[in-house]
Amino acid sequence: MPREVEPSLNEKQFVLQALQENLRLDGREIDQYRPLELTFGDQYGVADVTLGKTRVLAKASAEVTVPYTDRPLDGIFTIATELSPMTSPAFELNRPTETEVLLSRLLEKTVRRSNALDTESLCLIAGQKCWSVRVDVHVLSHDGNLIDAACFAVVAALRHFRKPDTSMEGGVLTVYTPAEREPVPLSWLHSPFCITWSFFGDQGEIALLDATWVEEQIRVASCTISLNRHGEICQIAKLGGTPVDAVALLQCSGVALTKAKEFSTYLDGKLAEDTKKRNKGGLLAELSAENDR
Amino acid sequence: MASPCATSAPEAALGVLPRSDGSAKYSHAGYTVTASVNGPIEAQRKDENPYEAFVDVIVRPAAGVGGTRERHLESILQSSLSHIILIKNFPRCLIQIVLQIEDTPENDYVNTKLVQASLNFAIMPALFQTAVLALLSAGVPMRATAAATAVAVVPQDGVKKTVVDPSPRDIEIAQSVHVLAFTSHGELLLAESEGDFTVKEWDGIYETAKKTCCHSTPAKDGMEMVLDEEASAGPDMRHFLRSTMESKVAADLYWK
Repeated sequence: MPREVEPSLNEKQFVLQALQENLRLDGREIDQYRPLELTFGDQYGVADVTLGKTRVLAKASAEVTVPYTDRPLDGIFTIATELSPMTSPAFELNRPTETEVLLSRLLEKTVRRSNALDTESLCLIAGQKCWSVRVDVHVLSHDGNLIDAACFAVVAALRHFRKPDTSMEGGVLTVYTPAEREPVPLSWLHSPFCITWSFFGDQGEIALLDATWVEEQIRVASCTISLNRHGEICQIAKLGGTPVDAVALLQCSGVALTKAKEFSTYLDGKLAEDTKKRNKGGLLAELSAENDR
Repeated sequence: MASPCATSAPEAALGVLPRSDGSAKYSHAGYTVTASVNGPIEAQRKDENPYEAFVDVIVRPAAGVGGTRERHLESILQSSLSHIILIKNFPRCLIQIVLQIEDTPENDYVNTKLVQASLNFAIMPALFQTAVLALLSAGVPMRATAAATAVAVVPQDGVKKTVVDPSPRDIEIAQSVHVLAFTSHGELLLAESEGDFTVKEWDGIYETAKKTCCHSTPAKDGMEMVLDEEASAGPDMRHFLRSTMESKVAADLYWK
């Protein structure tokens, strides 16, 4: 398999020196994201996120299965991240690379372990039947900052997703098809977002948001902060050998909060827009058999 | 639910992925597929062939993990695409085609099992078309272009009806489903069938598919005549491939 081309020494020096003079190759500010775009598919639970040249497609799906024996009251929630050769020919099928392992670990910690999706609500009959919700993350094109884009796509797909409606009558479980009853949204508790800082220089003194692929190859350390718009931090992962000043990290998390708020507002806006588009004539509320909590 | 219309015109975009050699996004009859082509690149030791290039086709379902059905589709696509790519020009090389399924039409009347993805035959034309478009976009030398179509024989009120680009509902009740591909010279490249059918029925299907894939527009006929024909025969795939390429080339060379 062909290896990824590493930037040459000249290229590295050029990017680094430019960064020391507070300049980025694409002319962005230090704490500026590339234009983020989100589009939903025709189906529920398909989110296509574009961040500059990075493109991630997430698809949520659900089916009824048997819960794990050690967790009879919980549903199953999995996030599948597999980088295909579409991302780059350097990736092979069925052979996870470091990028892939890191990505799936971070998404797992951010979305699953922060209890963003209430898994107890996925239980249908204790110990016998539950929903298994699965999100497939497809990386179509990788131009840096995969983690932030993938996390945003996963959260968007899950919030957009609707699972088939069910009812229990006398111990008999009925799963309604979309033709019988309008599907219902998942029980969603909070929306975490990943914000990744990249550090450059010998002491890691330069910090950047949303690094491109070239910048990612040159960085000495990175720090991914996952938090929601209320400032509740789900996880912090500091990767790379170079130590970073604690005060700098504090400042980073401060900026991360404002970015998370921006993401949250953008996602809410897009979801509202999509609902409005689907809800032609305002009949969706009448189709729904769901009760308000 | 926005269910896509089965008779909608195909749509395609070339060069959608910035980091691969060639890429295409294609959507038709509710199916949306994105493909990337990298090649000719260095082949793995086990795939290396001293006389010709190895064509690697990877089909990735939108949800769930791929299984035997995907491998089956991959092998069909691989053998038919190897016929039109000039593989003898690139010995010891690899031409890698990754097909990522994005959207498939949903059957509103059935709750689908999704964790184990299982594709059906009807997605074949979309996969095939996207692969050809991506190969064109990557500039991989080919003997001819090709177009594919799916045809189903559906019993309706006691009469057998031939349906081009069948919906999931049609496939469910169909007696037989066929996928046929033709090169731009009008030669049969691929014929796969599923279900019960007679030789006579197959002849009819062959004619229908051929008309869809490569009905040549007579030059001397008036424009109105052509429009009438198109309306009855559905989309003309060969013309579609051509016009997509033409618009892409025009956009790329606008500075000339």
